[in-house]
Amino acid sequence: MKKNSTNEDSLLIKKAQAGNEGAFNFLMNKYYPRVYASLYSFTKSKEDSEDLAQQTFIKVWQQIKSFRGESAFFTWMYRIAINLAKNHFVSSSYKKDKINVSTSDFDIDIPSYTNPEQDLIHDEALNNIKQYIDRLPETLKTAFTLRESDGKSYEEISLITDTPIGTVRSRIFRARENILTYISEDL
Amino acid sequence: MGNIEEKISALYDGELNDQEIDEVLLMIEKDSNLQEKISKYGLLTSAMKHQNKNIQSITSKRKKPNFNFWLSNSITAAAAVIITFFSINQFDLNRMGEDPSAKNQINIAINSKEAKDIAKRAEENLVDHVMHIINNSQNDSVTPYNIDLRNVGYTRLGPDSRTYNKGNKNFTLHIENKNLGINKLRNWRYKDKMIYVVPLQDGRVLTLYGNIDQNSALEIANSIKIK
Repeated sequence: MKKNSTNEDSLLIKKAQAGNEGAFNFLMNKYYPRVYASLYSFTKSKEDSEDLAQQTFIKVWQQIKSFRGESAFFTWMYRIAINLAKNHFVSSSYKKDKINVSTSDFDIDIPSYTNPEQDLIHDEALNNIKQYIDRLPETLKTAFTLRESDGKSYEEISLITDTPIGTVRSRIFRARENILTYISEDL
Repeated sequence: MGNIEEKISALYDGELNDQEIDEVLLMIEKDSNLQEKISKYGLLTSAMKHQNKNIQSITSKRKKPNFNFWLSNSITAAAAVIITFFSINQFDLNRMGEDPSAKNQINIAINSKEAKDIAKRAEENLVDHVMHIINNSQNDSVTPYNIDLRNVGYTRLGPDSRTYNKGNKNFTLHIENKNLGINKLRNWRYKDKMIYVVPLQDGRVLTLYGNIDQNSALEIANSIKIK
């Protein structure tokens, strides 16, 4: 089955909608950097972006049952984040106190990203993502780029590169690991 | 470890079946390193998405212009948010010069039924309400209701106060005519205090904020007679 950005998370979303916190945590970890980066682009404040990202995911958890897959999951979250960002600048009460509300009734740990990798979002090092990709062996680079840049499914990549799906999966994994290693070496 | 990490990578891409997903979720449940792995993959995607205009697609024959992605991304993201503002205020969007794909993404978001549902609820939602209570906790202004909690052992600090106490339990009480879409008690923790939001039978919402436990909050909610 062809996977695209709209349905690649459908099984995880279905599980999260059924109350599976592990599935929600996976989605949150997956999308936190993109939500955070979007908010940071708007607020230019690390602290505000963290607060707003946390609030975004609290709302996503509260409202995930209303998500019906008519848009990509990230688009839906992005809309929530934008609403919060809008309120952030409209409501003076948000400026009075920056709080971290934890939802004890959900028992969801909203991650706090203070590790060096997260700081890369603000960092010039991310400008070099293309440089890191270029350092990959050609087979890994092709598989990774087809997946991340072109949004191809493993099956499609398998057909394009005439490679078994298991090999595609392995190459994409190794590409990710290699890039993370390159980044950590540059830190 | 490599095998589970490879499975995480595959799950990240939506390439595992239902049973495999459950197995992976179980394995990463208590392993913060594996959870962090997901975020790191997310970080790479985030970087790719922000820079995708700079990365030549392998399957695309069209040469894309090279430009500073950080600048363009900032403008795009800012424009995206501005689009939302301007849509609401019916300004002319065509002057913004925003990235068409970003505009399309935002338009989808704005026009989807889910987004409208969320927007409708955005004005009055639990998180906003809870944050408002916390932000205004120092403002011990007059409560519009004469709530007597002596029947459950709580003393009001003054005739116009929102604050009640019993022994080491103390809290502020708020009753508001809000539709927060809840039908049972919800609770949050903020620092060393709890926030309880309880729907009352008459449709109003009771919020208690302070050092009390859930049973006490329910007892208080059940005891309230609005005069």
